[in-house]
Amino acid sequence: MSQSLHHVKSSTALYRRPASEVMRLSRMGCSQPTRLSFLRILLRRARREGWKVARTVWEIDAKGSGHAVYRTRCGARTYSLVAFAHDLPDEMRSDRVIATAWDATFTLFDGDPSPADIARLRENVPLQEAGRISTSELTLARANRSVRLFRHVVDALARGEQPDVEELAKTGYLMRTTAVYGSGKFGAADRADIAERPELAAPFQVEMLTVWLIRAFTVDLAEHLAAMAGGARAVRLDAELRRSLGVGNSTGLGMAPFLVRHPVLMNNWMMAREEALARVRAQNAASPKAIAGLRTALGAAMANAAAWTSEHPVQVPKIADLRHDLRLLSDTVTAWDFAQPRPWDALWCWGVDALTCEGQEALLSVMLEPHGDLVDDLADCMGADEAPSFRINGAMSVRELRAALRQHYGWALSIDFTTPENVARFWYVSEEKLEPRLGERATEEGATLEQPLCIARLAAELDEALQGRDGDETTAAVLLACPEHRYVIRRVQIAQNHPFAEIHDNLIAADMLPIDLLRSKLSFFGATRFDPRSDRWVRINLFQGAPFPDEIGMEGTP
Amino acid sequence: MTTASHDQTRAESTPNLAEGQTAYLSRNEVASLCMKAARGAGMSWGMAEEAGFASAWLLQHGIDGPRHLKAHLDAAQGRPWRDLCPKVTPGQWQAPVGRALCPVVLGVTLCDYAGLPEGLVAGPSIRIGRVDHPVLLIPFLATLGAILDLVFDLAWPGGAALIDGGDDTLAQAVVALNGQQVPLILTARAGTPHQPTHGPAPQIAAETIAALGALAMRTTVPASDASRAGAGSTTPDND
Repeated sequence: MSQSLHHVKSSTALYRRPASEVMRLSRMGCSQPTRLSFLRILLRRARREGWKVARTVWEIDAKGSGHAVYRTRCGARTYSLVAFAHDLPDEMRSDRVIATAWDATFTLFDGDPSPADIARLRENVPLQEAGRISTSELTLARANRSVRLFRHVVDALARGEQPDVEELAKTGYLMRTTAVYGSGKFGAADRADIAERPELAAPFQVEMLTVWLIRAFTVDLAEHLAAMAGGARAVRLDAELRRSLGVGNSTGLGMAPFLVRHPVLMNNWMMAREEALARVRAQNAASPKAIAGLRTALGAAMANAAAWTSEHPVQVPKIADLRHDLRLLSDTVTAWDFAQPRPWDALWCWGVDALTCEGQEALLSVMLEPHGDLVDDLADCMGADEAPSFRINGAMSVRELRAALRQHYGWALSIDFTTPENVARFWYVSEEKLEPRLGERATEEGATLEQPLCIARLAAELDEALQGRDGDETTAAVLLACPEHRYVIRRVQIAQNHPFAEIHDNLIAADMLPIDLLRSKLSFFGATRFDPRSDRWVRINLFQGAPFPDEIGMEGTP
Repeated sequence: MTTASHDQTRAESTPNLAEGQTAYLSRNEVASLCMKAARGAGMSWGMAEEAGFASAWLLQHGIDGPRHLKAHLDAAQGRPWRDLCPKVTPGQWQAPVGRALCPVVLGVTLCDYAGLPEGLVAGPSIRIGRVDHPVLLIPFLATLGAILDLVFDLAWPGGAALIDGGDDTLAQAVVALNGQQVPLILTARAGTPHQPTHGPAPQIAAETIAALGALAMRTTVPASDASRAGAGSTTPDND
């Protein structure tokens, strides 16, 4: 069960950042993974509970076609990744949702699949969107090879050699997932039916487990193909090189609306992270162990920033800012007076003055890193039961509603929606592929079918509608007279108790960057190497540097 | 270019069925499909969310919510708000002249007004004008009952039902209310509702899914070269 953060200690309230700072898109677009990221939560639990992963089935031929099963025993429960490998011609490989074939397709089965289950899944999982799965399945996913690196690794291993370190670093993964669906999609089990299981209570744990097991599969497949090609000469991938490989992920606009559509959930993610930062800042002193941990984390952050490449014009200067800031931070930490009162808060305040947004968010991440004992319990607050906040309080007066608007949506009410640049875009769903897209209002058709994602403008419209109404009137009466405001009134009431429920920016402005939304969400997943391929399409890496299932419990951090 | 709603490459989760087939849908799928369909049929976004909620609630309790919503939307789509919503006065909620009330709008408005002078309180009855497909009212009353510790008596010419959270009474209410279009007398009583068990998920007919899908497609924008160009990467996916 998710715990509420409403009872957080007042001693940390002084050190919490306000939503007006945290929820700006420009800052969300500098987000860094932290120890509260979802893949880190999964790995901590796997280590703590001694999860056992076994490859129980490997029926894959010399061409790389067939299936495999990875069984994970987590306490009383078992989850099994069922992987189908395909021999896909190069010309059929696309990461878009419009693709129809993939190098590998996967499902996470709830339990131990029988041969009949495997047969059923073989008929459906490779079809992805065109197939159906059942309540026995928790996710549906697919991945494509990084063709060049995959070939290089297989060729090298087959010759009895290790692959080139630089080649591995350049790509960072053998396969990238192009979709990992959970939450009841395609007939899978509903989130609500599994959310009470302790190991799945934190957000996106089935998705993270799926990707972690996919990572093991990608290396196993490469080693298998090398052994088929090289026979006795072939070698396995060196453990350290293997660690450097994550799972790539390609994602686009489809992910962007999620944060807007789940205000309570987003609030809980943000609030947990912000409370963690506040707890660290509120400490009176710094232990030698924590200081050493900070330095280790900073070293890892610098190594990650050094290896992070992108050619995108928005991302290039951001990576430069980050590298510059991390050098400055490193120099400052070396000389920092940790004996002063509240040394962590002093360091944070220094960072706010001295660092760019990129550096500040990186500082947050490295400050949390050595404080697991202090902050890891906040992982239990990051899930959300959205049902209780769905009902609208119809008894609220117009006066109270307007006060709530002014208090929580002042940022929105100050936007002038009569200027073309502030209404330049519109979000819509494409008829052709049913995927979310972003259109230009001035030049593209379809604005009448706009999705309600620009909360700022909806709030401004509500404010205008309320101006002529009696302050004693009830929200129920307003809703009966103006049903079009139900959607945003629900949000205003949610925002009253969820300070981080809204992104404080205009999501239809001409200069809005969808990749900022993506980076924020992906950082909560634990993604690294954020690499935009356009202003609305990104590549990232998951689990890079993390232990493999056969190493769990035998490694150091992370 | 025309696009079938059953395109293998669509980013959509509802199944691709041949006529006469049925499928199990998850609650998430039902909530999503029904929300879009309700929007496509003319509901506001906030009301469409409520239609999604009601359909998924019924599904969770073993009832074919999508079928009931489809039947209602078939009848009510495109009607203006004034022809769907009740005129609310204490003890008397009127239907629009010559029309039946939308059960989603009615259920939502009953929730909005709960505890207010015009709304439901334990004791006095509310006389409600004709209601279309009143099965869709049940999720709202059941939710309200659980929050406020109320159970509800529904009476209409020739029938009655009890909404108290019990499995048997729910099943009886669905049978009694199915296909009705009747005026109701709704009475709330103080009482702790039962915790309903979740029934086995019903199979949803291809026709229901296709009809809701067709309504949902009205919320989408036809493709253009600009929209296709803006959707993906500007560099090739192979690496």
